[in-house]
Amino acid sequence: MTMRQTSVALLACVVLVPVGRGAQEDRVTQLAREVGTKGWIVYAARGENGTWDLFLTRPDGSARRNITNTPEYEEGGPRFSPDGKQLLYRRFAKGTVIHHDLWGFQGNLMIAAPDGSNPVQIGGDRELPWASWSPDGKQIACLTQKGIQIVDLATKKTVRELPRKGIYQQLFWSPDGQWFCGVANAQIMWTVVRMHAQTGELNIVHEFQSCTPDWFPDSQHIIYPCRPAGQNGYGFTQLWMSDGDGKEARMIYGEDGCHIYGGALSPDGQYVLFTRCPDDGGGSEKSGAPICVMRMADAPAIAGPSLELRKVHPEAKEAVVLQLVEGWEPYWTYAEIGVEK
Amino acid sequence: MKIVPSLVLLSVALFAVSCAEKTDTTVDPNVTTRGSIEVTARLEEIRGDLIDDPMYDYAHVMKYRVTQVHRGKVDKDVIYVGHYNPAEPRSSVADARVQEIGGNVKQFRVGDVHRMALEVPIDDHFMGGIINKYFGEVNDPIYWAIWTDKAAK
Repeated sequence: MTMRQTSVALLACVVLVPVGRGAQEDRVTQLAREVGTKGWIVYAARGENGTWDLFLTRPDGSARRNITNTPEYEEGGPRFSPDGKQLLYRRFAKGTVIHHDLWGFQGNLMIAAPDGSNPVQIGGDRELPWASWSPDGKQIACLTQKGIQIVDLATKKTVRELPRKGIYQQLFWSPDGQWFCGVANAQIMWTVVRMHAQTGELNIVHEFQSCTPDWFPDSQHIIYPCRPAGQNGYGFTQLWMSDGDGKEARMIYGEDGCHIYGGALSPDGQYVLFTRCPDDGGGSEKSGAPICVMRMADAPAIAGPSLELRKVHPEAKEAVVLQLVEGWEPYWTYAEIGVEK
Repeated sequence: MKIVPSLVLLSVALFAVSCAEKTDTTVDPNVTTRGSIEVTARLEEIRGDLIDDPMYDYAHVMKYRVTQVHRGKVDKDVIYVGHYNPAEPRSSVADARVQEIGGNVKQFRVGDVHRMALEVPIDDHFMGGIINKYFGEVNDPIYWAIWTDKAAK
C-alpha cells in the first residue's frame, strides 16, 4: 500500500477513541497500517441507489467498491468460500426488509466470483436457506424445517440429511467440516449450540440471549453475540467467544450503549470484525451499523465509559478499534481476488 | 295482563337459546379445517411471563386440559401447546415468519377454554425460539397452535 493509499484509508475510517488521547489514536493508526494489505472484507451496505448492495474494502477501509450495484435487488449475507474463489450471498426483491433473524430464509441463494462478477442464482425463492460453505467449496449445508441438508453444488442434489435437533437459525459449517454451529431451543431458546456433522450429536455452547454464532478458523472456537443477564434494563449485546464444548466462554468486546453483532474472524484468527449498533438486531432493517476491526490480542476490550460493564469485566483493556463504514454481516478473506490491490 | 310479560320472557329465553345454538353451529371454518388435530381444551397453566418484545419472535408453551377431540388423535387429557407471540391478539399475530396462523383469542388467560386447530410436533411446523418451562419435566410432544378461537366454558 502506498502512503497516499494509507492516507486515504485513514480518512475513510473513524478513530474510535476519545479526543486528545494521542497514544490511543496512534495505536488505532498502527492497527490500520497492520491490516491494510491483509486481504479483503465483503459486506452489505446501502448503495447510492438506496438498495442493499455488496461492497469490497481493504480491512483499513481503503479501495471500497460496490461489486453488485443492483438498483432492482437487495443483497446481503455475503460469505467467501474457504479458498476465497467464490462468494455466496442472498438476493432479495427490491424493497424487501431484511429481517435480522430471518434473512437466511429470505430471497434467493446466489453464487458469484469473489469480485461479484458472474452471479448465478441457485435454487428458487426461499430455497437453500442459511446456506454455508463446505471446506472444499463444493457443497453447502442448509437449515430447513425438515433438517440440515448437505447439497452438492454441481448436481444441486441433497446428498445427506441430519435432524436439526432444535436449531432454528444461523447454521454455519466449521472450516474443517467436522461441526455445525447454530441457534437452538435447548433447555432455553436463544442458545448457541454445536452439532457434530457426522453423528448429529449436539452440545450447548452458550445459553441465554446468544445468537449469530460463527467459527474461528481453528474450528475449535465459536464467536457469538450475547446479551447477558444482570444488566440494567434491557441491556446491551456484547461479543463473546467460547470453545466448542462451551467450557471457556469469555467476552471479546463490549460497549454500553451499543449492541455488537456481525462477529467474524480474519482467516488467521488474529483480528475480529464486528458491527456496533445503537439498536438491537444489528441494523439490517435500516442501514446496518459501523463495521469495526480489532486485534484478538486486545481482547477482552471495552469502549466508551461503560461504567457498568467495566465493573463486570475489570480485567478488560481499553478498546483499540478501527471503525470503517456502515454495513452489515462483514466477512474476511486473505485471498487476492482480482480487484485493485 | 300477566300473559304479556310471560310471552316476553319466553321470547327472550327462546332468543337466548337460539343465540347459544348459533354460537355452537357457526364454528370458524379455519379451526375446523386447518391442521390435522382439532380440540376444545381448558387453559390450565401459563408458566413464566409472556414476553412482548417486538425485536424477537417466539412460541410459548402452555398447559391445556382437553375436553373434546373434534379431529385427529390425542392420546392424553393434558397437552402442551406452543402459541406464537402470545402477547399479540391471534387476529394480528401472523407475520413473515409464521403466516398461516390466527383466531379470535385476544389474550391468553388461565381458565379460558379454547377451540384450537393443531399440529404436532411443533418442530415440524415452526422454526423459531420456543419458551418451554416444562423442558426436562415433561417429555410429551409439544403441539403447535395454528388457529385459536375462544370457546364456551
